[in-house]
Amino acid sequence: MRILIYLIAWGLVAAFFVAPLGHLVTLPNFDQYMEILKHENTIKAIKNTFWVSLSVGLVCVAIGVPLAWLLTRTNIPSKDSLRSWFCLPYAIPPYVGAIGWIILANPTSGLLNTVFGLNLNIYSFPGLVWIESSFLFTFVLLTTLTALDKMDSSLEEAARLSGANGLQVFRDISLPLLKPAIFNGFVLSFLATAASFGVPAMIGGPARIYLMTTQIYTFQRMGTTQGIQMATAVSVLLMITTLILLFSAQTTIGKQKTYLVSGKSVRPSLIHLKNSKVPLLIILSLLLFVIFALPLLGVLISALSTIQGSWSFSNLGLGNFVRVLFETEETARAIGNSLFLGFGAALICTSISFFIAYFPVRTTWRGKNMLGIFASVPFSTPGTVLALALILTFSQGYFGAGPSLYNTLGLILVAYVVKYMSLSIKTVQDGYSLIHPSLEEAARISGASWWATLQTIYLPLLKSSLIASAFFIFMPVMGELTMTILLTGPGLETVGTLIFSLQEYSDVGGGGAAVLSVLVVGIVFSLNFALKKISKGRYGL
Amino acid sequence: MSCKFQNVGKLFPGNIWAVKDFSLEIKGGEFVSFLGPSGCGKTTTLRMIAGLEENTHGVIQIDNDVVSDPKNKKFLPPEKRHVGMMFQSYAVWPHMNVFKNVAYPLKFQNLSKSKIKEDVTAVLKTVELDGLESRKPSELSGGQQQRVALARGLVMKPRILLLDEPLSNLDAKLREKMRRDIRSIQQQLKLTLVYVTHDQKEAFQMSDRVVVMNKGQIEQIGTPSQIQTEPKTPFVKEFVEVGR
Repeated sequence: MRILIYLIAWGLVAAFFVAPLGHLVTLPNFDQYMEILKHENTIKAIKNTFWVSLSVGLVCVAIGVPLAWLLTRTNIPSKDSLRSWFCLPYAIPPYVGAIGWIILANPTSGLLNTVFGLNLNIYSFPGLVWIESSFLFTFVLLTTLTALDKMDSSLEEAARLSGANGLQVFRDISLPLLKPAIFNGFVLSFLATAASFGVPAMIGGPARIYLMTTQIYTFQRMGTTQGIQMATAVSVLLMITTLILLFSAQTTIGKQKTYLVSGKSVRPSLIHLKNSKVPLLIILSLLLFVIFALPLLGVLISALSTIQGSWSFSNLGLGNFVRVLFETEETARAIGNSLFLGFGAALICTSISFFIAYFPVRTTWRGKNMLGIFASVPFSTPGTVLALALILTFSQGYFGAGPSLYNTLGLILVAYVVKYMSLSIKTVQDGYSLIHPSLEEAARISGASWWATLQTIYLPLLKSSLIASAFFIFMPVMGELTMTILLTGPGLETVGTLIFSLQEYSDVGGGGAAVLSVLVVGIVFSLNFALKKISKGRYGL
Repeated sequence: MSCKFQNVGKLFPGNIWAVKDFSLEIKGGEFVSFLGPSGCGKTTTLRMIAGLEENTHGVIQIDNDVVSDPKNKKFLPPEKRHVGMMFQSYAVWPHMNVFKNVAYPLKFQNLSKSKIKEDVTAVLKTVELDGLESRKPSELSGGQQQRVALARGLVMKPRILLLDEPLSNLDAKLREKMRRDIRSIQQQLKLTLVYVTHDQKEAFQMSDRVVVMNKGQIEQIGTPSQIQTEPKTPFVKEFVEVGR
């Protein structure tokens, strides 16, 4: 029974997670690569992708590392709530930020320009870098926070007793020891920028800064064979660079060393910020305001404004809400589709993970770890690339067998499951590793079969992990845009694609995209809050 | 050098005393052990001397300086106390070699390079680590890392040296040698030393005086023989008997 399930798991992973991407790689021939490398726009897109991602990565480190240190090692007030507020952007789709910033800082009618007389232009390289960074710094923040939480704090205390003050301890001890974590955070934010679609499309388009993902989208939308070929070649390039970068980062500088694990858990002694406490608190609040509150405020104002770009109280009203929610026929369908996809993906991923995550923790079978690694490849692959690979695999049935999934919700569901499965497996696997093997052994000795053990021992004990896993899938799916935009079609709108089309062309008066963004942010916030409550703080931001 | 506690306490929210009404005077050159079961407040008290933990009540003095007096809002941060400490986990910095680890406290004392080299070489000799200057901690045994930590505490010529269960990660044979070495270095350098342990044998063998603690409070202060022969409270009596 166990072996059968194990083999089925391998079959699923091979067929859905590995084969489509493998197939994609074999499609373009050498000449096509040469052709795209001669194509002026493509070269420009590659260069832009590199420079934007690099800048975002560096800004993220500059924001995330000092922040993580302040929030764990000093006596700055209300640390816990600051910590969750700063981590929250992790859960919000970055294109919501783009919509907010377009309202605040577009060159013609941005509110910061018209009302406060500033001269900002969000449609620019710095604008693009800022919006991406204001979300993706959470990658650096989270990796650094985790490392600091795990780090043996006596390493830092020993330095203080040697006579080093707070900043000297940071420079001489914490920073060198955090190098792997910081580097990993940098690579993650770099790659997330390279893989992002919404922000580059909304900001980069008007600014004429095209990235590889937006280029792939343009090629694919051409609808011609040549277009698909070009899209495929750029995709393979993007995917291979991403995977190589990720792999080499994790095996070199980013390799976590074991000395970070503490022997005895003592609360770390905190560094006293005396005179700098109030100024730092003000700086952090301002930063939080600019990163988080300001763009959301922009979205909210836009959603409530009858006429976009002008500011007065008489201009505020619920007209946009009424129009978008009740008078636009796509909206109900989009919300329905997103809910169906969210519940569907959460249910499928969590059920499959319940089985897959068992093997690496509880068996010593050959390839047990490879199962999880292969299943995580699509998660590391840029969404645009994954979507294209799935289209090419499923458009005429599965490699030519069975019905075509192209232009169906089914293919979007497959894409979500394949993309986010890794989150679910990791969560459930952590759950398994907290359960002592003797519990299973005791059940087996009592006469329970393996299947009965799963049902009567593991299922109840893993309840909180499974619930968390469902949340972790549902949340990103509710706002997903990068993959869906390539897979959608008439009648297949989701909340993400509807926001995109309202923002880009179909909502003439404006404000419609903002209304739905408010909805997405509201859903994400309440889910995160619910998860935190249910799990008593173990999961959630 | 000396250290004085006057009615020191640490109160956690929820009216939980980690340490309560702790008064003690440690004389210069004295070896004092804090002995008690885990959770008795001995490590917290030690960390309050270092400034890694803040007392909420009472006054702590090192020599004649008040280092902590919450009533008068006085608190000297750890880096200004000039106190050495050896941690249970050694806390040897993995990214620095032995020389750099030991030389680190001297960086903050405005010494010349040659003086630093001289001091580090001398202290490494004292702890029998000479010749290993350029080794990385990962290339050292647990016992050797322990000696690096000790050297780092000694090199700064601290007013007090604090040791937080330093031998609990060593095997029995090594522990015995290390005990004797620490005691002889302490006597040789006339160090004031505070030693935290839950191992009575260790406390009785090494110390001039032992402070037995339970539930955050002092049960008895005395020489090892006083505590062993004249236990003053039922707790100490039972503790000593179980120890035998």
